[in-house]
Amino acid sequence: MRQWFILFKKECLESVRNFKWLWIPIVFILFGIMQPVTSYYLPQILESFGGLPEEALFDIPVPSGPQILAETLGQFSQIGYLVLVLAFMGVIAEEKNSGTQLMILVKPVSYGAYLTAKWAHMSLLAVTSFILGFSFAVYYTHVLIESVPAAHVIKGAVVYILGMLFVMTLILLFSTLFNSRAAVAFLTLGLTIVVSLLSSLMPNTMRWSPGMLSSHAYSIFGTGEGGEAMWLSIACTLLIISVMVGIAVYIFRNKETASHSS
Amino acid sequence: MNLITAESLTRAFQSTVAVDGINLSIKEGVCTALLGPNGAGKTTTLNMLTGLIKPTGGSIAFDERYHGDRRQYIGYLPQFPKFYGWMSGQEYLMYTGQLCGLTKKAANERAEELLTLVDLAEAKRKRIGGYSGGMKQRLGIAQALVNNPKLVILDEPVSALDPIGRREVLELMKKLKKTTSILFSTHVLHDAEEVSDDIFIMNRGKVVIEGGLAELQTKYQKPTIYIETEEEPDIWCRALKKKEWFRHMHLDKKQLTITVENINTAREELLADATLHKLKPLRFEVVRTTLEDLFMEVAKK
Amino acid sequence: MEEVTEMLSEVNWSLIVPILIIQFVLMVIAFVDCFRHNRTNGPQWVWILVIVFFQVIGPILYFIFGRRND
Repeated sequence: MRQWFILFKKECLESVRNFKWLWIPIVFILFGIMQPVTSYYLPQILESFGGLPEEALFDIPVPSGPQILAETLGQFSQIGYLVLVLAFMGVIAEEKNSGTQLMILVKPVSYGAYLTAKWAHMSLLAVTSFILGFSFAVYYTHVLIESVPAAHVIKGAVVYILGMLFVMTLILLFSTLFNSRAAVAFLTLGLTIVVSLLSSLMPNTMRWSPGMLSSHAYSIFGTGEGGEAMWLSIACTLLIISVMVGIAVYIFRNKETASHSS
Repeated sequence: MNLITAESLTRAFQSTVAVDGINLSIKEGVCTALLGPNGAGKTTTLNMLTGLIKPTGGSIAFDERYHGDRRQYIGYLPQFPKFYGWMSGQEYLMYTGQLCGLTKKAANERAEELLTLVDLAEAKRKRIGGYSGGMKQRLGIAQALVNNPKLVILDEPVSALDPIGRREVLELMKKLKKTTSILFSTHVLHDAEEVSDDIFIMNRGKVVIEGGLAELQTKYQKPTIYIETEEEPDIWCRALKKKEWFRHMHLDKKQLTITVENINTAREELLADATLHKLKPLRFEVVRTTLEDLFMEVAKK
Repeated sequence: MEEVTEMLSEVNWSLIVPILIIQFVLMVIAFVDCFRHNRTNGPQWVWILVIVFFQVIGPILYFIFGRRND
């Protein structure tokens, strides 16, 4: 455990020095602010720059608070995930390809600890960035439009965070499988999109899937209650995450650290 | 007492057998060299001993007194050590020290000690990204020692260095020899002869010759006479080939190196040779060759 | 044009200014880091232009692709 914490601290220190702990939260904060602001000013912007007939303008109502929070999550699920995947696609490959990994794993270091420390760090950074960005979104929504009950906000955010952890775990799993960062990024984003698409197309067959979590979060913002079978998809996501971490550790242990050079 | 024993150790990659059933026994308190041309399988062998790659056949056993994960007792320096460029030398040593189970305080003390040993105390707070090749190599040795290993494994520790760096590292190895066992690989015979006690010569995945340095030297070393003359010795030396003590020779303009069977007879006869005197000898020297001949022969096979 | 100025006066600047500040901070961090870092993936001056002229996206691109973590 002590060793795990040392590995974890090293990951944090590295991300502080290469500014990941600065720019990733900043990106989330920016999108967290921009979404409520643009939603709020959208009718006025359209009005000033014209083009739309008068009657159409009345059809664009200022969205409700829960709606804006849901839109913010939508932004995070697109740009936020893209940024996180690109930032962490080299989480294993970088050290492996540069040869620094070999120097560490030749020491009495647990392969499992090495891997899970990296996973914990990137998840922590992702979740922290999300919480910061989302807090700004909530505050701006409160100032500009209306306040959403705090309990709803927190409950919805927790459900959404679980979906985020699912994506971070996908990055980890693909990182242990492939040495190419492009492959890791492509597969993680691809699979995330497929899962969320299938979930919105066939909500019944996909009721268990992590892709359902964001729609449950939207529903919580509005009513305080998740959609049908929310607990099923929460339980399944937790299970999938732990199984994926387990598989990643297993693969990583059995993969050779040193490559054959002639 | 053997620190590490490998029996019929084999490693096959898709199409090639990099290491082919070798037996190694590394003794405690001894500096062992794994000598061989590039591509002989030295790095693969070392990687199997450290546990970084798994053998496809054979077994590795570490001294029974040291049980558990053998990585605890091994310090390793790869051929091209790579560090986190954003850390300082001191941070890196503290990090690896703590990973080996030292407390923060103990790791700090150990780091200071090692930085002084490898002469990096002045650069300890600088980012490793700004270190020179020689400094990185020395830091590499320091990190290999951080856990007070029973066996230090160094992969080609001097081959990438300039003459000064090379000398520094060889001296450092001589110093280390007194306190710990060393196993190192090299493709330079001279380095092996300078610091090692035991030598394993590898080629094409097999151990071709093994033994103590002194033992190998008496067994394979041939006495040699070096002659330098003012006149061309070309015609004269051809006649030498018929002598019964003659083995082979090498003529480079007016410098003649003759490897002989019996040094005393050869010396007597040569010094009594009137023709040689007419060639106006400048130098006449009895030298002992290194194992170069043997090594070249082995490498060629 | 009148409508635009009218709109601008209606805008609650205390809400917009934080966005501009954050954008600026992001740009400054990327710029300083790029400037001090001698090694980037691709020419350094291109990255400096990207950081300065493309708000938000430029610095992000630099951190993801331009920065070399030696």
